[in-house]
Amino acid sequence: MNKLYNKYEKEILGILARYPAEGKRSAVMPLLFLAQRETGYVPTEALSNIAEITGISETDVASIMGFYTLFHAEPAGRYRIQICTDLPCALRGSESYLEQICEKLGVKEGETTADGLFTVEAVKCLAACHRAPMFQLQGDGEIKYYEDQNVEITMQIVEEIRHKVAAEQEA
Amino acid sequence: MADMVTLKIDQQIVTVPAGTLIVNAARKAGINIPVFCYHPKMEPVGMCRMCLVEVGYPQRDRVTGELVKNEDGTTKISFAPKLETGCTTPVVEGMEVRTTTEKSNEGRKAILEFILTSHPLDCPICDKGGECALQDLTMLHGPGKSRFIYDDKKLFAKHVPLGEMILLDRERCIQCGLCVRFQHEVVDDPVLHFYQRGRSLEIRTYSEPGFDSIFSGNTTDICPVGALTTVDFHFAARPWEMERDPSICAHCAVGCNLIYNIRREAKSGGKTVIKRAMPRQNEFVNELWLCDKGRLGYHYVAAAERLTQPLLRKDEKLVPVSWEEAYQRVEDKLRAEQVRLVTLAGGRLTNEDLFNFHQLNQSQNGKAVLYSQMAGGDLTAQIGLGKGSNFSDMGKGTAILVVASDLHEEAPLWWLRVKQAAQRGAILIVANARPTRLDKFANHVLRYEYGQEAATINALLDGKGKDEFTQAAKAFSEAENGLVIYGSDGLGLNGSEQLVKACAKLLVERGYYGKPNNGLLAVWDKPNIQGAWDMGFHPDRNLKGTLREADVAMIAAADPAGDNPILAQALEETDFVIVFEMFMTETAKMADVVFPVQAQIEREGTYTSGERRVQRFDIVLPHIEGPKSDYQIAAQLGRLMGLSTEDRSPVLVMNKINEKVKGYQEITYSRLAERAEQWPLISRADSYYAGTGYENEYGVGIQISSSADRGEELSLGTLILVEPQEEVATGIKVVPVTALYDRGQLIQPSQILAKRLTPQVLLMHPVLSKKYQLQDGDQIKVKVAGNEIVSGVKLDADVPQDVALVARSNGFPISSPVFVQIQRLVPEPEA
Ligand code: SF4
Ligand code: SF4
Ligand code: FES
Ligand code: FES
Repeated sequence: MNKLYNKYEKEILGILARYPAEGKRSAVMPLLFLAQRETGYVPTEALSNIAEITGISETDVASIMGFYTLFHAEPAGRYRIQICTDLPCALRGSESYLEQICEKLGVKEGETTADGLFTVEAVKCLAACHRAPMFQLQGDGEIKYYEDQNVEITMQIVEEIRHKVAAEQEA
Repeated sequence: MADMVTLKIDQQIVTVPAGTLIVNAARKAGINIPVFCYHPKMEPVGMCRMCLVEVGYPQRDRVTGELVKNEDGTTKISFAPKLETGCTTPVVEGMEVRTTTEKSNEGRKAILEFILTSHPLDCPICDKGGECALQDLTMLHGPGKSRFIYDDKKLFAKHVPLGEMILLDRERCIQCGLCVRFQHEVVDDPVLHFYQRGRSLEIRTYSEPGFDSIFSGNTTDICPVGALTTVDFHFAARPWEMERDPSICAHCAVGCNLIYNIRREAKSGGKTVIKRAMPRQNEFVNELWLCDKGRLGYHYVAAAERLTQPLLRKDEKLVPVSWEEAYQRVEDKLRAEQVRLVTLAGGRLTNEDLFNFHQLNQSQNGKAVLYSQMAGGDLTAQIGLGKGSNFSDMGKGTAILVVASDLHEEAPLWWLRVKQAAQRGAILIVANARPTRLDKFANHVLRYEYGQEAATINALLDGKGKDEFTQAAKAFSEAENGLVIYGSDGLGLNGSEQLVKACAKLLVERGYYGKPNNGLLAVWDKPNIQGAWDMGFHPDRNLKGTLREADVAMIAAADPAGDNPILAQALEETDFVIVFEMFMTETAKMADVVFPVQAQIEREGTYTSGERRVQRFDIVLPHIEGPKSDYQIAAQLGRLMGLSTEDRSPVLVMNKINEKVKGYQEITYSRLAERAEQWPLISRADSYYAGTGYENEYGVGIQISSSADRGEELSLGTLILVEPQEEVATGIKVVPVTALYDRGQLIQPSQILAKRLTPQVLLMHPVLSKKYQLQDGDQIKVKVAGNEIVSGVKLDADVPQDVALVARSNGFPISSPVFVQIQRLVPEPEA
């Protein structure tokens, strides 16, 4: 049928099986998620693939992707460090926390580290205001919360990930 | 009659059907509640909050359920504490709505201030400026000042092309969603949608080509701001500089009502030119819409190369002469003893032209031939769509059978209206040899092989055959009202004749004729084919022979020689050819006399649409020096021959038609100008309610009655079918189909449509292409009618496996099914 389908046929059939045959469009969200899993963003080609699988227009698929901030249309680092800078977090110093993280990683907000591993993004409230500052780590098809952060703890997490990736590459 | 509800709006008592929304009830009472995201042709969504009003409901005692009374005996009304959206709230009995109180005024003001927080306010360079809902409503209701920070406005690139026809200014968009909903709900081309949200929200298209919809122009009318504009009108003129002239679209048999906005401008050398075409409301015909062909296909009028002087053949050459000399020459010819005259007329002539041509022709015992490949105009005149029919009234209880037509391409507005009837519950049966865009909305889809059109209808009549057929036959016979829409998909004149007879028989046997929303509807390929039939012109199955045998051929608005080399050959043998044309066509080049004629927009006249609605159009542009109207030339020739043909004005010709032509008794120009009450009530003064389309001040036309409507005896002839003789030949069978954007004389000059023109290819199924070892994109030589044409090949799995399709008026001399030989062209090896 198309690239995405051929690659993940079994998984896609599994997703489609969750919805009635005439409601294939309901599978758009899991399919977008699937398409994003590998590269951290949804390439344009995947949009048309999903459109074909679900029987809705590519424009409609793109609209759904665009609506949700957890879907990305542009490539970035393997991990996105998404730091909340909304009001409650800001009151607990998230802005300078963000600044310092950026400094440590040698990037500006929105940029990716030279090794291609981390992109730092400022985002809106993630509903963990009571444990601010906080960030959300999106990557490898997963989303994790890290709460009650400070620069040291966060940089430790960053280092751990770097180690993990290095170990992966050696293996 | 629906249940009626009485309520009070700003002290006015209003009675409307239950379920009516407050904004519409108010409008009926002449109270205009401002809206942005509401459109009377779409479902309400309540997104913009511009229509906030105070709504009070009659109070009831909780225990007894009785209405609570005030001291003075009136019902106690309790107002909701918050304002409510008038576009989503249906009226209820006893409701009271206040639209001008301080509270509702405050509401509007606040919403406008909110919408304007990030609006660029670039009205001076905005194409919508002067007819913009946001501008108008801000003037009426808005705050004079904003409390928001100017520098904080969102900034986006402006004038982003959504395809080559429509531009988007993302800063101006107020996120009303009308364009998105129009594309999804109304025309089923879901190629526009929101992307992102909040201040990052923008309209996007991902289709290829961009904004791929034949109705795209309508979004520029309904967009309440200058976010969507056509490339055609971009920076072309200001709305207030233009005048409006009503006209009728001449591109298909629907006959959409439109307005041409014109302006005299230095840019065009002081000439008056058309700046754009806009829909003119006619709820019987096109509602508030136009297809893009109608909207953008007007540029031919400005094409150079117009003929301006009569031409006469002298010493083998066509040379300019005076009108007198040309007339004299024709008169001499016609006066010769026993001339065999043939008058060949095309379907873009007006009723007045055709009537005069017919008179002239008749006086010489000539043969009046219609240049068309479709049969059935005599049948539609008798059992055609009943007087008083309106697609908008069709829904449950009506069965619509569409056969051999790709309505989306052939008559876009009918496609839209049939789709909507089906969505309202009409039974839709679509029969075609290949899938079309209507299938999706059909209850029954019937497939046949090209050539089996009539047989298919007969099968429906017998109710025998495959399962789908019996079911469809049953569904069609059980309806209250039935109509059959037939087209010319894959048909020539012979096939068309068989098909229309079968359709007529089906309708007669089921009793679906002679009443509103019943009968036969032909999808003619020209605006006035029905008028031509009515004025006495009929297609000729042996046109070649007829032309060959004629001594004198008068050819108006037709280019047989250009369309078909065989007809060109036949014309060689005609002694004397008189051509009435705007351009130097192939036929004109062969003529002995050429009369230059005016374009539709330079003259008055009437067309009879497929639904047999006679509609009048006015002079839009001053005519160029030289050409005359066809009816005038025909009349003057008539006078020379001693007839009293009318040459002073089309109005007077219509008065004669009215006396002489069956069905036209009720038609006069003044009656054609009568308006009708229409819903929604739109007006240019408050274009925020339904967009910038024009109200109809010029008349909605008159649908003429069929013989059956009038209770006359029918003479349908034998509806017995002759088994079509299968032409057996070698090669590939090619059938012609109609494409919206063909390469006809009227389309090509519109550069803006260039990219959307139908490719010049043989469309075939992969199975067939394999047989000939062809691949998508190959070039081939097609041998047809003794000619060789180079064509492309395009593969399409929707085409039946044993035929190839070509589009009509697209460079192939193919107007009916034919067998061709093909040969693959091997590309030159690259040097
Ligand atoms: S482009 Fe126009 S019609 Fe579409 S959402 Fe924006 S303002 Fe509304
Ligand atoms: S549907 Fe036909 S009449 Fe209407 S605008 Fe399109 S081409 Fe013109
Ligand atoms: S404001 Fe940061 S999580 Fe809510
Ligand atoms: S909310 Fe009523 S018009 Fe938009």
